[in-house]
Amino acid sequence: MKERFMALGTGKKVLLVFGLFVVVAVVVNMLVPSEGKNDAFKPETEFKLDPWVTLKLGPLDMSLNKAVLYLFLACALTTMAMLYIAKRMQDRPNRVQTAVEAAYDLARNQITGNNMDDSMALRWFPFIGTIFFFILFSNLIGYVPLPTNTEHTVEVFGIAFPTFAIYAATANLSIPLMLTLMVWFSYHREGIKAKGFVPYFKSWMPAGLEDMPLPARAGIFAIEVISQFVRIISLSVRLFANILAGHLLILFMGGGLVVLLGLAALGVFTLPIAILFFMFEVGLIAGLQAFIFATLTSIYLGAATAEGH
Amino acid sequence: MSALSETGTTLLLAAAKKDEGGSFLVTPGLGLMLWTLIAFGVTYYVLSKVAFPKIAEALDKRRKAIDESIDSALKTKAEADQLLEEYRARLKEAREQADDIVARSRKAAEAHQDEAKSSAKQYREELMQSTRKDIENETRRALEEIRKEVAGLTLIATEKVTRKSLDDEDHRRLIEEALSEVDFSALAGDKKNGAPNGSGDS
Repeated sequence: MKERFMALGTGKKVLLVFGLFVVVAVVVNMLVPSEGKNDAFKPETEFKLDPWVTLKLGPLDMSLNKAVLYLFLACALTTMAMLYIAKRMQDRPNRVQTAVEAAYDLARNQITGNNMDDSMALRWFPFIGTIFFFILFSNLIGYVPLPTNTEHTVEVFGIAFPTFAIYAATANLSIPLMLTLMVWFSYHREGIKAKGFVPYFKSWMPAGLEDMPLPARAGIFAIEVISQFVRIISLSVRLFANILAGHLLILFMGGGLVVLLGLAALGVFTLPIAILFFMFEVGLIAGLQAFIFATLTSIYLGAATAEGH
Repeated sequence: MSALSETGTTLLLAAAKKDEGGSFLVTPGLGLMLWTLIAFGVTYYVLSKVAFPKIAEALDKRRKAIDESIDSALKTKAEADQLLEEYRARLKEAREQADDIVARSRKAAEAHQDEAKSSAKQYREELMQSTRKDIENETRRALEEIRKEVAGLTLIATEKVTRKSLDDEDHRRLIEEALSEVDFSALAGDKKNGAPNGSGDS
């Protein structure tokens, strides 16, 4: 059977597999006929944060919810993993240590070392490294199904357990935004410290505009100011939107669409796609977004202190 | 046209509804932001105070150890190279010395041989010379004796022929004179020459 399949041409193979999918879809459709559109299911509620423990400090809502849990998980996982490796640093590393060392080296030399001078890299590496590892672990645990869905519960012996779901702290705007604000204030502070208050803002201006009339220069300065503020949005939304989009894709392909449309047969086609997206997100996007965030942080810091614009 | 606008309205409504339903996605919450700050702060503190320095220290230590082992390996190699070079030079020297010794002994042997040869030759020549001298001396003595003998015999013969004894003095002088004319030396070299002379006289 296997030999006979392997002997077929590529086109025929694809056709055969696709035909198999169609047959399975038809069979599933016959067994579970369409139930029509499902209006009760709202996919976005997967990302809704219901307060588990309400905590209010005056007007401030510090309620514990799913996102806070993921933050704690990210914090605990990052610190524990790094401490574990740090304690067990051997002269002859095993595979895990080699992987962490490679990540450390990436954060230390590629992300930090390439964008600023050595003394500054020495000072800022802990911050940039923490950002890299914190976001990386945050993203990664976002793909581990955890019993966090309190909206849909499973009753076991009369006790309601939350169902398993995937969620990521970075798929909530508040968290990337807070990280971005820390970066934003850090690099402005570092720039002012390095160049002085007024010279720092002057350094925003591109070089070679000394002959320009004042109003035009003011206009350009306004654009530069806007671009600085846009960085807050671009840096935070890039991370947030990437992770959210990944989770949405996995959610829709992994069953969301089937439930929404009430069409079970569709799942035959969407489930493999969901698995592909899952692998893509875990294998590439989680690391890539952490890398981009940390690299941009490093570039902003380096540019704020560098001579010239 | 109305169908189109209806569809548009529906879409707009749906979008609005969606926006209403999903707006929490893009609304930042201050509480969550503070939690982020706390979680990140704790992570930052632990990593920057404990984990990163330890990892950096261990990596530096390893790098140093690697550097040192590379250095020492290079040093050892250089030493080994030098040693090898030295041994090679010494071996070459020894070989040259050996060649030299062989050449020298060969030369010495040849010289010795030559010397032996020449000394043997010289010895032989000396021997030959002395032999020749002996022979000459012997010959001369023999000739002298022959001459005396011949003189005596001649004297006797003459006495017998003449029956009278010659005055010894005068006759001996005459005979000596006659004999001196006869070349006896031919006797030594050629007997044919001497014999007729001698027999003719006697």
